[in-house]
Amino acid sequence: MTESIVLARPQVLSELGQATLRRLMRAWFEFERRMARVPIIQRLDNATFTREDYQRLLLNLRPQVVEGSRWISRCASSFDRDRADIRSVIIGHAHDEHRDYEVLEQDYVASGGSLDTIRARQRNPGSEALHCYLMYRAGETNPVGLLGAMWIIEGLGEKMANNWAARIEELTGVGENCTRFLRYHGSNDDSHMDKLYGLIDRVCTSDEVADDILRTAAVVSRLYALQLEEIDVD
Amino acid sequence: MNAFVTSTGSFLPGPPIGNDEIEAILGRVEGKPSRLKARILKANGIRTRHYAIDKSHRTTHSNAQMAVEAARTCMAHSPLPLRAVGLLSCATTQGDLVIPGFGSMVQAGLGIPEVELHTTHGICSSSAMAIRAAVNTLRLGDQSSALVVVSELASRLFKNTRYEAAGGHEAMDFNSEFLRWMLSDGAGAWLLESEPKGRCLRVDWIRSYSHADSFPVCMSIGHPTDPGDARTWQDFGTYAEAEAAGALLIRQDVRLLEHIVKLGVDGALRLIDEGLLDTNRLNHLLCHYSSHHFRSKIFDMLEMCGARVADEKWYTNLYTKGNTGCASIMIMLDDFLREGRARPGETILCMVPESGRFNVAYIHLTVVDAA
Repeated sequence: MTESIVLARPQVLSELGQATLRRLMRAWFEFERRMARVPIIQRLDNATFTREDYQRLLLNLRPQVVEGSRWISRCASSFDRDRADIRSVIIGHAHDEHRDYEVLEQDYVASGGSLDTIRARQRNPGSEALHCYLMYRAGETNPVGLLGAMWIIEGLGEKMANNWAARIEELTGVGENCTRFLRYHGSNDDSHMDKLYGLIDRVCTSDEVADDILRTAAVVSRLYALQLEEIDVD
Repeated sequence: MNAFVTSTGSFLPGPPIGNDEIEAILGRVEGKPSRLKARILKANGIRTRHYAIDKSHRTTHSNAQMAVEAARTCMAHSPLPLRAVGLLSCATTQGDLVIPGFGSMVQAGLGIPEVELHTTHGICSSSAMAIRAAVNTLRLGDQSSALVVVSELASRLFKNTRYEAAGGHEAMDFNSEFLRWMLSDGAGAWLLESEPKGRCLRVDWIRSYSHADSFPVCMSIGHPTDPGDARTWQDFGTYAEAEAAGALLIRQDVRLLEHIVKLGVDGALRLIDEGLLDTNRLNHLLCHYSSHHFRSKIFDMLEMCGARVADEKWYTNLYTKGNTGCASIMIMLDDFLREGRARPGETILCMVPESGRFNVAYIHLTVVDAA
């Protein structure tokens, strides 16, 4: 794929771009704190996370992952001709991830679960809310605010790979053949994050856009945490 | 009403101790050299530090004695008589006595009559809490002078006998040994007054952000080695049982440490948003990072979002004076001023990230010359 935007972090150039990046970093840190208060993540931190927890995590992530490339590709198609360069970056992103759910399913099976069970699993209320919100926003013309959604979700991919995968193996005894989604998704998201940093300058043309990006990041942050909170509800 | 730092002082016990001398003082656990020492020292970058215990594990200076020495040095640089100090605000991680408060012992050592007393409890950021109390008292007009004295005596926790009593190498892991190669002893004092005197530092603001609601304990004394045992040290039948279970060892959950870097940056970004901090105009950053390793992480993260603090603005004495916990920022400012680095009109940010259960404190100062 040829990209017209090749900007590696931390080369965010404009003043508004830098101010937005500062706000996005704070939104990310707030998301990390929010995540740290979710029961299943607390178990990961306090070393009581079990293999059953890991299976529940995968079961509850799959419906959102399988729909993930839908909102991203819908988002790409909503960018008009004046923003074709943005569209290209996002199409690439959708293409990279559109079969990630298959890796997740294999991890679930490798950890002792059945393929039928994970495929039959419906979205939990948090996933439902997250999915509907993303699909709705992706249908709007030039949905620049979704950069905030990608910021949170891709950032989480890095976190899964860097913090979760090894910890889960250590606590549950599952092998690397069970955490390929977390690891692969994360290493891929590292390059996605670089592209996002590049997009900030391209997309942040006014305070209104910056506010929209931050508001979207805040909503996605809340709904993503809700999705993981629901694991302990059902 | 304002508050000005009009004098500072510090005290470090004994001679500087090089990396190859540490184990001769703290002792080899079960007679064997540590396998982690070199790795941890390489990451923290500390070359020399001071200990208030000697090779035979006798305490050369108590925690309160170090505090008193630092306070006397601070007051020797000021025309204000010690007896005139209105508030004595003290902090330490662990006093010589479990009770009463550390401030009482420091007051007795200094011999200040009828002083208003304040003691804060915590780890590194307890210094900022003690300074906050002093600044508030001056701003309210309740006192016109406040002496802040902060001291740390960590080395007593690191004697080989402590680890042997808790099961020796078999019971030790990275988390229980980590701080042995990080922390050391020392004390610092700042005199704050409501009127400026000579060249002094105006306290512009103090802010701190605590995140104990979000994260588990990262640095502690009191939990036994077995993570499945929910008891804390006083829940055991005897202190000997608590020690044998490892509940008196100081521990750092190094897996969680990266949070403190992010939270330090998060607070700085928040202060920029509030309009309190301008990293372009800031002249000096005195950051109590515990390890050289973390300095580059904070630096990179700030740079990434355009809040770069240029290399030459960073000041630390970590590498030669060691990491003295809550006393670090006190000693750091004393060294910084003594080196004549502060010019009138310049701004200084003191930053104290505490990993205990994640509290980050910031103190903003401006150098002024009294008319």
